[in-house]
Parts: sequence; structure tokens; C-alpha cells
Amino acid sequence: VTRLRLRAASVAAVVLVFAWLAAANFVPAQTRRASPFLPDAGLRLGLDLQGGIHWVLGVQLDEAVAHELDYVRAGIQTAADDGDFGVERVAVEGERVAAEAKSADDLARLREWADERGGLDVLAEAGTRLELGLSAAWAAEVRERGMEQVLEVLRRRIDDPVTGIPESVVTRQGEDRILVEIPGGQIERSRAREMLRVTGFLEFKIVQDHDQTQELLLARHGGAVPEGMELAFEREKETNRVLQAYLLGEKADVTGDFLTDARVQFDRQNRPTVGFTFNADGGRIFGKLTGESIGKQLAIVLDDRVYSAPVIRSQITMHGQIEGRFTPQEAADLAVVLRAGSLPVPVAIEEERLVGPTLGADSINRGFWASMLALASTLLFAIGYYRLSGIYASIALVANILMLLGVMSLFEATLTMPGVAGVALTVGMAIDANVIIFERIREELRAGKTARAAIHTGFNRAFWTIMDSNLTTLITALVLYEYGTGPIKGFAVSLSIGIVTSVAAALLITRLLFDLYPGDRPVESLSI
Amino acid sequence: MRFFELVPPGTQIDFIGRWRLWALVSVAVIGVSLAAIPLRGVRLGIDFAGGTEMLVRFTGGIASDEGAVRGVLSACGIPEPNVIRYGEAQAEFLVRFGALDDPERVAAAAERGECPISPERRAALEAALAAQGATDPKGAVVDRLAAAMESAIGPLAIERVDFVGPKVGADLRRDGIYSVVIACLLILVYVGFRFSPRYAPGAVVALVHDVAITAGIFVIFGLEFDLRVLAALLAILGYSLNDTIVVYDRIRENLALHTKYDLAEVLNRSVNETLSRTLLTGTTTLFALLALLLLGGEVVWPFATAMTIGILVGTYSSIYIAAPTLLWLERRRGGAAQPARAEGGRGRRARA
Repeated sequence: VTRLRLRAASVAAVVLVFAWLAAANFVPAQTRRASPFLPDAGLRLGLDLQGGIHWVLGVQLDEAVAHELDYVRAGIQTAADDGDFGVERVAVEGERVAAEAKSADDLARLREWADERGGLDVLAEAGTRLELGLSAAWAAEVRERGMEQVLEVLRRRIDDPVTGIPESVVTRQGEDRILVEIPGGQIERSRAREMLRVTGFLEFKIVQDHDQTQELLLARHGGAVPEGMELAFEREKETNRVLQAYLLGEKADVTGDFLTDARVQFDRQNRPTVGFTFNADGGRIFGKLTGESIGKQLAIVLDDRVYSAPVIRSQITMHGQIEGRFTPQEAADLAVVLRAGSLPVPVAIEEERLVGPTLGADSINRGFWASMLALASTLLFAIGYYRLSGIYASIALVANILMLLGVMSLFEATLTMPGVAGVALTVGMAIDANVIIFERIREELRAGKTARAAIHTGFNRAFWTIMDSNLTTLITALVLYEYGTGPIKGFAVSLSIGIVTSVAAALLITRLLFDLYPGDRPVESLSI
Repeated sequence: MRFFELVPPGTQIDFIGRWRLWALVSVAVIGVSLAAIPLRGVRLGIDFAGGTEMLVRFTGGIASDEGAVRGVLSACGIPEPNVIRYGEAQAEFLVRFGALDDPERVAAAAERGECPISPERRAALEAALAAQGATDPKGAVVDRLAAAMESAIGPLAIERVDFVGPKVGADLRRDGIYSVVIACLLILVYVGFRFSPRYAPGAVVALVHDVAITAGIFVIFGLEFDLRVLAALLAILGYSLNDTIVVYDRIRENLALHTKYDLAEVLNRSVNETLSRTLLTGTTTLFALLALLLLGGEVVWPFATAMTIGILVGTYSSIYIAAPTLLWLERRRGGAAQPARAEGGRGRRARA
């Protein structure tokens, strides 16, 4: 009897711990963390329940390879310019770099150069023509490096501690995909999208000429853009209307590559601006440029768009400021983008799942009531059909749900709408183990066994049936977890944990209740 | 002792005797669903087919109908917009479109002014889109359509946007097929290992039967396959097997107990003995699914529908298909005289 009491006490203690873990979810997370009596761990809500954005981004790694090929081409051109060998022509053709050497001798030296450089395969050689491609190992490395850089930049932009988005997740998925999850209604879709801009490519260029419109400007230069220059525009943010047209040098005088920091500052009129800081190299180049160009205008160009073109009044070295009629939010976003640098390889959204906060709240509400209805109808059915034993099954079922939610909270599992469906389904299916046991006990009773013997045999005989049937369901749940994505994974999680807890509840809790009553008492009949 | 009983003890319904009839029914249903594939086509949701789906709610309480929404979308360059209206207030519209050339067409329609976006909205929108660059052409479509509906119909909130690109769609299709195949194989291995390998084909026949008929009913009624339906199909695999295994467990036990009976008789007896459990569990599971169907809303509806069909079919197959398949396989093997014996030691131990 004391052993039985001990068992009862320990089962009750375990269930209470899980109940406490499960109940704590109703307390807001901050309160929970602040309180010494409440667990920190809790269920996370999936993006479909709390609202948010789920993105699968495809990283265009072919662009990284193309970029590398162009780099090889530029390398050959530079070496030829330096007189290492003579080439007539060098160009990127598809996935190869084709070079036409001036002589067989030049070709041999070009080959030597390629060997020394490494990472290149000779794909074809005919006459004085040499075709080079990236070696498989090098191409793989280029792709891998591109992938890592993109991840790094996106992490800095989205996870940025100051202006990034709390609790957002950036993870790599396979070879060329990145999963981005941004929870809650904290961010608008268009703003989030800006985080993916290739952008953040900052250039400083001395203004050669400018005017209010392109026509007026070009009229002064014979109607065409002069050699070595390009057009750039400053536009009104709200309407995209051109405010000012500029002629700038094609090559940037200084780029954002030298930036070490960028943050929101306010000018004398208390308008937000973005202040930036160069590293030592950048400061030197910038100092030289601004020192030579006092009195001229310096265009600050971000992704080919002129933000402002202040007149240089004195030499600037390490620190500068971008003014651009920003709202505080825009200034903050720009600072993040500048700090994180540009995306070395473009990305494309391959999958988007966006859920607004109202829909999420509505789903939680619906899921909760559906689960309650499932629970209530199952309990009523069980008690109506099995009487006292039905009450036992109901106790086990409620304990099962508490354990399920408790375990999920403990592991900080993500609860999604399909996950809620999984919980509701568990309610319906969990009773199965009890039904198997009870039906077995009834059979044993009909066969003339005493209540005690029938209970004993019933549980023993049902044990493997329950194990077999539940293990196979567990197999499918695990496959679902492996292959499922996003919310569906949530279904697999609640289903698998639910299977384990329901077996535990039936075999431990229902058994315990039968041992408590009738236990060893010689009862005439069993309410089952 | 008296119990409240769904199936009275000693019930001996002859499930096995007419197994040919039931097999015919099942084969016929599967045949009809197969025939329905070329006739009706398999409707794939955007998860598998790719495309964009947006759920918008008009917040101003403006009475609008599908026609109005469809009109706006067509004007904006969406050739065949799929619009469904629902929600309690009837102010929610599910809009779906899928072609790859949408971005250019919609941009062109907006450019030509056919898309009814109010001028002030349009300037701001185009400016914002220009500032974002071309990272997300699909997002631009969503923005333009939302602006058009807002200008033409009334204030709205975008509740949900789902976009699946062609590459991801293809991957999800492939993974979906893999997952069902792998689950079946693992189950085959498990059943073969836990029972005699002779039981495994029967269990898999029952599984394939349930999944095929559930999927078939989806095809016949033109319901749509998406990830939620796939999740339901896998859950059905698990549930159906659960059911089949309970029956097989009893068969194994009864074979060890009643060595002198005919296999068909033992099978029939086993199905009858487990009948009440099969029906009871099916019933409580259906309770849960009905709760989801009634209260769960649009998000879980496809899942709950597939699951409900699957549970009904699974319960039927546990009674009429799983055991007869075993009989059929044994007879084909010519082993009618020596039925499949439990090879896991437990069956024998039960009466040792």
C-alpha cells in the first residue's frame, strides 16, 4: 500500500509539474521571466498564429560564379596590360573565359599565368585561342563563399541589435536557400522587403554638372552624356519626381566599402540624417578627395540614386553625414543597410507566407475552442460509455493534454495552427489506448474472471497492441517532421509528443487509478 | 455484469465471407478516382502548383461581391482571377492567381491606367516600388492589386499572403511524394519486423487503399491538394495502420489459440472481437475532427476534411479490407492449410 501511495504521489507530482509548465503559457513572457516562481520556458507561437513573415530566399549563386568569371577576365586583361603576355581579345562567354593570344608564345605564357592563379581549368585550346573555366572545386568554393556572405549580410541587416527585428531568424536551408522568419506585426511587408535589396552600395562622386531636368542638363553637353560620365537623379521620395539631374563620373571616387559605422543623427533643425564613419584607409582617400575639391559638390549615391549633393566646405576625413529628407524610420533603415554592407549576390523570394496579426489571433481563438469541443465531447462519450472507468480515462486524457502542452513548453516547441489541429486530434485518438484496455478487460470479465484478474490481464494483453499501433503512428509523424515545412512541422511535433504522452497516460495513469480503486478489494462488479 | 455496449459480445458478423464484394467496392472506388484524374484533373493548391494567394478583408463594411473584386483584378492584368468569398461578415475575399508573367502585365496595366488605382495612391506606390528595386516582383503585384482594390472598393487589410515560386512548388511536390513513399516503406519494415513478414503486404494494401480512396475522393469532388492535405494523408497512414495493427494483433493471438479452426473463421472472429474498439476510436476521433470542421475555420478546413474522409475509409478498411487481404494472400500462396503463424514469440507465449 505504501508503494502504491508513493506511485500515486510521484505520478501526481509529474502531472502537476507539466500542468504548471502548460499553465504558465497564459502568463505573458516578460512576467514569466521576471517571476522566480514561473518557468521561463514556454510555447512559441508559429508565424501563422502570431502573424509574421516567412520567406524562403533563393540566392542567385550563378551570379557569384559569373562575377568570378568576370574577375578572371579582368585579371587576364590587367596582366596583358602589364605586358606579361599579349592578348587580342578576352571575354566571358557563358561559363567560360575565352582569350585570343597574340602568338603561340603568348598563349603558353597565358597558360602559365592561369596555372599559377589556380582554380582554373583549361576547357579548350585551339590555335591561339584558350578557353578557361572555373575548376569544380573553385566554383564550389565561390558559391559557398557567396552563400556565406549573403547570410552574413542578411543576419546583420535583420538581426541587427539596434534596428533589426527582435526574434527574427535567418537560417541557411540547403545549398542555395535561406529561410527568414520575421515574427509579429512589427514590420510592414514593404519595409521587410527593403531588407533584401541588393543595396547598400554607397558611392561618393564629385558632381561634374547638374540641372533641374535631364533635358536642360544634357542640352549643355551636346544632347548626350559625355564620355566617362553618367546620369544620376535626386528624386522626391513620395512621388518619384526628379528634383535634380546630375552628371557624375562613371567611377566612384570613394565607396561604402570603407565604412565602419553608420547611425542616425540629427542636424541643427533636428531632422534625421545618417552619420557615417570611415576606417583609416577610407578616411585617407576621402580626405584627399574632399581636400582637392573644396567648393565643389559631392554627390552621395546609394544604389544609383542621389540622396544629397552638399557643397564641400572643408576637408572631411573620417566622419560624414548623409542628408536626404528622411523620416526617422528611413534614416534608421538606411543606417542598417549601410552598416551591413551590400548583398554580394542577389536574392529572390521563392516562397512567402505572410499572416497578419488579426488572422493569427483569430486562429488561436478558433483552435482553442475546437480543442475544447473535441475534449468535451470525448470526455462525455467516455464517461457515458465506460462509467467509472470512463472517468478514469477522462482523468488520464486531461493529464495527457497537460503533459503534451507541458512537454511542448519545456522544449519551447513552436505551436502552429496545424499543431493545434494535432492537439485536437490527439484528444480524439488518445482515448484509443484506453478503449483497447477497457474492451480487453470487458472480454476477460465476460470470460468469467474476477475484476482484479481481468484488470491485470487486460492491461498486460493490451500493452503490445498499444505499443505496436502507436509506434507505427509515430513513424509517420517523424517522416512528416523530416519532410514537412513551417506550420506542418508543428503538426508533426504535437502529433509525435501526443502519441508518447497518450501511451504514458493510459499505461501509467489509468493503471494507477485502477490500482487505487478497486485495487486488491474483492469487488463484485467493475464499472466499465 | 452489464455494460453499455455498442457491439454486443459474441457478435459474429460475416465480414470475411463476402470479401470479394467489398474488395470489388474498393477497387471500383479507386477505379473511379483514377478515371477522374484525366476527366476532372487533379487540383493542386499553390503549395504544389506555385502561385500567389491573398486573403483580404474589407474593413469599411462595404458590401462588395466577388464580381466587383474580380473586375478590379481583371482590369489590373490578372487574366483569370480566382476569387472566393467567405468569413462571418462576408467581407473576406480569397484571391488567387498564378502566372509567371503577372508582374510585367500588372505593371503595364497600372502604367496604362487601366488598373483603378487613385492617382495620389499611384504616385506614392510607384515611388515606393522604385525605391525597393526589383527584388520582389511578386510583392509589387500584391501591392498594386491591394491599392487597386482599396481605391475601387474600400479600405482593406491584407490578412494573409502566400506565394510559392515554381522551384519551391516543384520541391514541395517531390518532398510530398517522398514522404508518403518513405512512410509506407518504414511501416512495411516495422510490420515485417514485429509481425511475420507475411502480414506486412496486407497492412500496406490497407494503407494504400485508405490513402488512395481519400485522395480519390478529393479528385472526384474537385477538392484541392495542398500541404495541409498532405499532412492529413500522412496522419491517415498512421491512423489506418494503428487500426489495422489492432486487428492483426488479435489475429495473431487467435491463430495461436485456435489452431484447428479455418483461417477465414479466425480472421472473422478477430475482426468481430476488435469491432467495438475500431468503432469507438473512430467515433471519438471523428468528434475531434467535427470540432475542427465546425470551429477551426478556413485554415484547418482542408486538413480536417481529408482527415475525416480518411478516418471513415480507414475504419471501413480495418473491418472489410485488412483481414481479407491476409486471407487472399495466404490462399494465393497455397497455404490455406497452414495459415500464417505468429513468428514474434509473443503469440505462442500467450498460450504456452
